[in-house]
Amino acid sequence: MPYHKFKCSECIPEREKHAVTKGPGEDLTSCLPLGYLNTIPGTISERGCAYCGAKHVIGAPMKDVIHMSHGPVGCTYDTWQTKRYISDNDNFQLKYTYATDVKEKHIIFGAEKMLKQNIIEAFQAFPYIKRMSLYQTCATALIGDDIGAVAQEVMEEMPDVDIFVCNSPGFAGPSQSGGHHKINLAWLDQKVGTFEPEITSKYVINYVGDYNIQGDTEVMVDYFKRMGIQVLSCFTGNGSYDSLRGMHRGHLNVLECARSSEYICNELRVRYGIPRLDIEGFGFKPLSESLMKVAMFFGLEKEAQAIIDEEIARWKPELDWYAKRLQGKKVCLWPGGSKLWHWANVIHEEMGVEVVSVYTKFGHQGDMEKGIARCQEGALAIDDPNELEGIEAMKTLKPDIIFTGVRPGEVAKKLRVQYLNAHAYHNGPYKGFEGWVRFARDIYNALYSPIHQLSGLDISKDEIPTEVGFLTRQMISDVNINKEETTPIEERPYTGDYDCVTKLRGKTYPRSSEPLSDAV
Amino acid sequence: MSCEIKEKERAGIINPIFTCQPAGAQYASIGIKDCLAVVHGGQGCVMFVRLLFAQHFKDNFDIASSSVHEDGAVFGAVHRVEEAVDVVLMRYPHVKVIPIITTCSTEVIGDDVDGVIRKLNQGLLKEKYADREVYLIPVHTPSFKGSQVTGYDVALEAFVQTLAKKDKPNGKLNLITGWVNPGDVTALKHLLSEMQVEATVLFEIESFDSPLMPDPDHSAVSHGSTTVEELIDTANALGTIALNKYEGGKAAHYLEKEFDIPTIIGPTPIGIRNTDTFLQNLKKMTGKPIPQSLVRERGIAIDALTDLVHMFFADKRVAIYGHPDLVIGLAEFCLDLEMKPVLLLLGDDNVTYQEDPRLKAFQENVDFEMQVICNSDLWELEDRIKNQGLELDLILGHSKGRFIAIDNNIPMVRVGFPTYDRAGLYRHPVVGYAGAIWLAEEMANTLFTDMEYKKNKEWILNVW
Repeated sequence: MPYHKFKCSECIPEREKHAVTKGPGEDLTSCLPLGYLNTIPGTISERGCAYCGAKHVIGAPMKDVIHMSHGPVGCTYDTWQTKRYISDNDNFQLKYTYATDVKEKHIIFGAEKMLKQNIIEAFQAFPYIKRMSLYQTCATALIGDDIGAVAQEVMEEMPDVDIFVCNSPGFAGPSQSGGHHKINLAWLDQKVGTFEPEITSKYVINYVGDYNIQGDTEVMVDYFKRMGIQVLSCFTGNGSYDSLRGMHRGHLNVLECARSSEYICNELRVRYGIPRLDIEGFGFKPLSESLMKVAMFFGLEKEAQAIIDEEIARWKPELDWYAKRLQGKKVCLWPGGSKLWHWANVIHEEMGVEVVSVYTKFGHQGDMEKGIARCQEGALAIDDPNELEGIEAMKTLKPDIIFTGVRPGEVAKKLRVQYLNAHAYHNGPYKGFEGWVRFARDIYNALYSPIHQLSGLDISKDEIPTEVGFLTRQMISDVNINKEETTPIEERPYTGDYDCVTKLRGKTYPRSSEPLSDAV
Repeated sequence: MSCEIKEKERAGIINPIFTCQPAGAQYASIGIKDCLAVVHGGQGCVMFVRLLFAQHFKDNFDIASSSVHEDGAVFGAVHRVEEAVDVVLMRYPHVKVIPIITTCSTEVIGDDVDGVIRKLNQGLLKEKYADREVYLIPVHTPSFKGSQVTGYDVALEAFVQTLAKKDKPNGKLNLITGWVNPGDVTALKHLLSEMQVEATVLFEIESFDSPLMPDPDHSAVSHGSTTVEELIDTANALGTIALNKYEGGKAAHYLEKEFDIPTIIGPTPIGIRNTDTFLQNLKKMTGKPIPQSLVRERGIAIDALTDLVHMFFADKRVAIYGHPDLVIGLAEFCLDLEMKPVLLLLGDDNVTYQEDPRLKAFQENVDFEMQVICNSDLWELEDRIKNQGLELDLILGHSKGRFIAIDNNIPMVRVGFPTYDRAGLYRHPVVGYAGAIWLAEEMANTLFTDMEYKKNKEWILNVW
């Protein structure tokens, strides 16, 4: 029987089919856990709501937009300064958030009039911003405010502004994933095709499903630009509103997080005939293959190979230094959605860690299928995990480290399990070749922290080595490493900068040498 | 020269100072031992609040959700409360108290939470959990009323309304702290202990700061430790002191009205003067004298402040935002420190702020231009700095306003909730004499660092 029964959940029979152990030779279809079902009340699930999936995950990374939520203040407050989607627009989208501040009288008499006033005031406060995303919330959805009509009215009165409307109240779906879906389609229906972008290359892509966490998007866009590709839009990390209105002019949709944004790619294929190409920005091999896949679409293999060779020559010795020291360390890979499969095998193959468990908070069965197919035998796969199940899994699997969010990371801390932030990263970006080394570095720093080692000592009964004044990470990690035999001279710890993203912003790129007239 | 009190003129909020009511109720709930609240609403209403607590305390706090989805929003979701209570009780055998905290969605659809609690009390609890002591408490906190501040106030009132029962006098004081940090509770308990006053502290949250132990099974869970028995016994106290009018005032009034318990509301003991008053109130209520040890402790604080006030603080222009009692207390302390709190921002639509005697005292007495903005947001502060020429030497407020300080090169001391962009602030008090020292020295050191970064008479510290 592949299903895994948690002791703590024996009293909730509905949970029985939400966890499986990947046994040797077992057929994936017989042991796929259930997914994307309504949450069981009272379980202390880690899920968020459909509003946050729409606004906080996908909408708000857009960098030149007033992000206004129509509802009481809490939804806005909660989804503000709780993620690390940076931008080259002085982080405008991180700094400012807007709530219409719906109060009891509005619940009773309607809030459309005050919504209009809110919109006008916000544009007045930021006269240089002409774009807005407007998000429905539970309260205003229930009273039936027609926010689309209000947006239309304002756009007619203020011809220089453009407003996007997203109807994704918190209750609209089992998890944040419902919101991803809704905003994908809303953007496509309302905005794609309403702006004609300037085409400057023969090779034009939309980079979709990356949210520029600590600069991920900017790192990937750098590679594409070095290949001579025009990145028409980024959906939505560091993305600008108008560029995303021009997505219909892309030749190829390059998709990272298929969980959050495959919907728009699929529809762009149906409506505009733009093919979808799924890629992976994490890990040397998947990333190299991904860059080559994009290159092959356009016939840019030579350019891609040059980048791959240069980057691997620069960063491989540093990845290897860490990989040697991470061998056999046990990991629980417990992200939100897509990293379940993006990281499942590559952290094992390239860093040598053993993935003992995978989980997804809001993924669907398709995500589990990919994750389980890729992860190692014996791994425990959990759908919509709850607090007690996570604790039970950590106690039985005894991982050295878990990759998860801020709050579950605090739970792990108390169990003496180290944690890295899988959503916002510790010191990212983690995408790109350099980013992957940064990830390895962060894992290493966590695992070989002298303080972590001290945390296991009980001064009341353990033997305390009183002659030791300090330990370095390497004194702990290199106990079993014979340096002369196994460490080629060029292997070294990370040598990059603390901030490896800002410097990309001023870069100039060679323009495509071929005449643009040949462009589609 | 005057103090003007007015409301924000815009309809909406640009960068909120507060989140909504359910967050305040959740903060109150984690102060009670063996308590696990169920928030009746969408999952975001819990997930983000837990994240906020985790950001502030760098620790995890458990709160459950009824996880209302679309079907519940359409057809009603009270059955999800029943299921949540059952699941919590089955899986958390220690849980005794379950506040059911409502949100905007479940208040709009009109779910009868009081009714479902009656049903659970008569049904599930009698049938399945007959041998367990369980208290279900309805907490009505629609997000479209008040703010996190009123949410805390409403929840505390609901706790005592449901639990407090008249019995023999217990000879103890009820000390209602308001929304404070563990460091504040330590400082307050220290003052009580020096005065030899026994008190029921609502809430005992020193245990929010929990240890990581060598044996993980002994690592503590961060949670408050005020017991349900203590809450029941609040009806039998010799008196109640509620330090924050707007966070706990309602509960204090309820106990006064219902059980004739002598009650003093305020002041928030921030600064020397308000701490003096707090000790006088303790003395008045218990008859206990103020000991020499506190005279001496006060002297140490006064000694520290004397080194700072006229040399560094005099006439420094300060803006303060956050919880109303905190902001007012800080402003009063700033005045005693010779500073000029030129702008106070109170972040919700509570119309009674304008009648607060402490604000009236500002109006009657301040000798510089001062503004108090009610129903404020953080744009009221930023707009004044960027577009209206407001000059400031210092900002006092929580982390959500950090970019105002960063982008405008104004030194800022993090104070209030949340303060996630500075390490360990929850461990330090702002109340009592210890809080006065911490606040003043934190402000001074922040100003000093700023002088050095800006090369603004940084050499003056050579011979200080």
